[in-house]
Amino acid sequence: MTRSYSGSVWAMLTPAVALIGVFILLPMALTLWLSLQHWSTQTGFQTARFIGLDNFFEIFGPTSVGRDFKGAFLNTAIYTALSIVLILPLSVGLGLLVHQRHVAGGSVLRTVLFSTYMVPMIAVALVWSKLYSPTEGPFNQMLGWIGVGPQPWLSSPDTALVSIVFLNVWQQVGYFTVLAIAGLTQIPHSLYEAARIDGANAFQQFYAITLPLLRRTLLFSAVIAIINAVQVFEPVALITQGGPVGSTNVLTYHIRRVGIERAQGGLGSAMAVMLMLSLIVVIFALFALARRKDDE
Amino acid sequence: MKLAWTIKCALAAGVMALPTAAWAEPVNISYLTHWAPETVALLENAAKEYAKTNPDVAVTVRAVPFGDLLTTLRSQGGDSEGATIAGIYDLWLPELARDKLVAPAPDAVASEVKGAWPAGIVSAASVGGTLYGIPNEIDVYALNYNKALFSEGGISAPPKTWDELKDAAAKLTKKDAGQQGFGMINSWAAGVVHPFSSLLVSNGGDLVVDGKPALDSKAAGETFQLYEDLITAGVTDPAMGTADANTTGPFLDNFVSGKTGMIIMANWWESALKAGMGEKFSDIGTAPIPVGPSGDKPRSISYSWMTVVNAGAGEAEQKAAWDFLAWLNSPESGPKGASAMADILMSMGILPSRSSDVEALKDRLGSDFLSGYVSVLADAKPFPVVLGGQEFSESLQQTIEALQYGQVSAKEAQANAQADAVSILERAAQ
Repeated sequence: MTRSYSGSVWAMLTPAVALIGVFILLPMALTLWLSLQHWSTQTGFQTARFIGLDNFFEIFGPTSVGRDFKGAFLNTAIYTALSIVLILPLSVGLGLLVHQRHVAGGSVLRTVLFSTYMVPMIAVALVWSKLYSPTEGPFNQMLGWIGVGPQPWLSSPDTALVSIVFLNVWQQVGYFTVLAIAGLTQIPHSLYEAARIDGANAFQQFYAITLPLLRRTLLFSAVIAIINAVQVFEPVALITQGGPVGSTNVLTYHIRRVGIERAQGGLGSAMAVMLMLSLIVVIFALFALARRKDDE
Repeated sequence: MKLAWTIKCALAAGVMALPTAAWAEPVNISYLTHWAPETVALLENAAKEYAKTNPDVAVTVRAVPFGDLLTTLRSQGGDSEGATIAGIYDLWLPELARDKLVAPAPDAVASEVKGAWPAGIVSAASVGGTLYGIPNEIDVYALNYNKALFSEGGISAPPKTWDELKDAAAKLTKKDAGQQGFGMINSWAAGVVHPFSSLLVSNGGDLVVDGKPALDSKAAGETFQLYEDLITAGVTDPAMGTADANTTGPFLDNFVSGKTGMIIMANWWESALKAGMGEKFSDIGTAPIPVGPSGDKPRSISYSWMTVVNAGAGEAEQKAAWDFLAWLNSPESGPKGASAMADILMSMGILPSRSSDVEALKDRLGSDFLSGYVSVLADAKPFPVVLGGQEFSESLQQTIEALQYGQVSAKEAQANAQADAVSILERAAQ
């Protein structure tokens, strides 16, 4: 009986495990193996030559390979951090606005907010590159109305990455607002009534009830937002090509340039492994932090 | 018995007819390019013309933005499903040939090309003496200047030396009106590196000598210094020089709208300038690259493009592709003794490289805009086509952009550029 039960468990698990193995674990293992090889992407795996950790030494070394990788890594980290810092509070704020039952047109506002998420990135990139145009762009024209001089936006290494972050926030905030609204609907209304009877004002209700009970939603939003931000590619490829002076050269774009355009498969794989490891560390740290808060 | 013999004879006839049937089968070939839709339409028309005498060969054209061309080649190029023919930049050839993504030209095509194109162009389409592509365009750089702005600034002639360049740039700069004297491009590797390299060769220098980087030379140091001088004088604004994935963007916008007095750009921008300026295109003048203190005469770098055939394509597709390309580039395919390819190229202001095309199209090449480019062809120096060339180019772009934005001094830029180039070319040669 036990043997039969065990057999059926394996029979049921095998398809799922096999699929995960073939489509997730195998490519990850292959990337890890390739990161230890000298290999041109355009040739078969049989041409790969084992070079140990040389690719990793190279990407953290003092040459242009190392400098470009470290620059792209830093750009990705800044882009991700700024995106999270802007998206999460905005999504909660907009979620609270839209969630208010007595606000007229709430569902229309919800649809409008979510619609930005559905616009294809190519259209977003085309429109935003014109909005940011230093000479004829509407943003600079609007700034001119309030006496602020023209900003370089995408044309300066000091502002280009932040400009791409704004574009990302605009496109993604609607999606995260919907997640925030979903979280808000799970909070019992009776808690707010009890708080009001106890004399709590709106801010106290927000900090004592809303924020703590939204923690799981925010954790999920943060994880998804981090993964989305780390994978940023299209706006860079379509608008800035990593420039000026590499200021918008993010890791996915750089890995594509190294691994595909230059066919340096080993180096590109080493960079992909570092990206994967960093993502794992950040996500685990986030969960650990959330667990500690839960324990408290 | 009679029936059995009849069946045997029919089978034998069928077997004999098989090879003929296989040749008669239609062949589909595809052509990957980065050309704009109006140019793609011209290529499609040429393919239709070819199909009149070759009804079994169907040519389809796939177009991607320039910024995606190499990636598309790399990701699909060597596959049987990839494009059969691709237009490529000569800098990419050594690595595509090393990775066996492109097929060597058949003997007949190779001997035709060697006889009909200048030796330097043939050499840029070859690796180790083997020809891999049929060359089509050659590009050189010249100074483009806005004659109306020159007139307003009281400048009577385009600058011939670097000192005159600095002087003219200062006179053309009107910061309050958002006008810069000299435009420097950024965010596009070739767009950044080629004008710099043209100033370098006009100063008697070279990027690479005998396969080794030569950016530590006095001539290179003076070229980096020229950039620093123009930046510190405020006559060029890097924020006005950004390009996008289609090689357009603010850099082009500022020049066509009269916000930039001078730029250094290649001949193929003629179509973009015409589209952006309309009737005001006649305001644009072309002059040779100003000569630096260590230079002897105006020079430019040159680079070429060619069409290659996918080594992963089937035998019939490869054969049909070479046949189509040989026809497309032959004097029989276009008007008045020019090739159809030359006709397509000229629609964009691009100089054809086949000797017979240059002769057949000499009237059109003598236009105000193009004659300035044709005049520098003889003294042009080919951009070095070496393994690691693309990475070298992108690395130099980063250094020049850092100089443009004031992140490094001219001396630091020169040292960084040389060190990076040595490391990149040594690694690529391994």
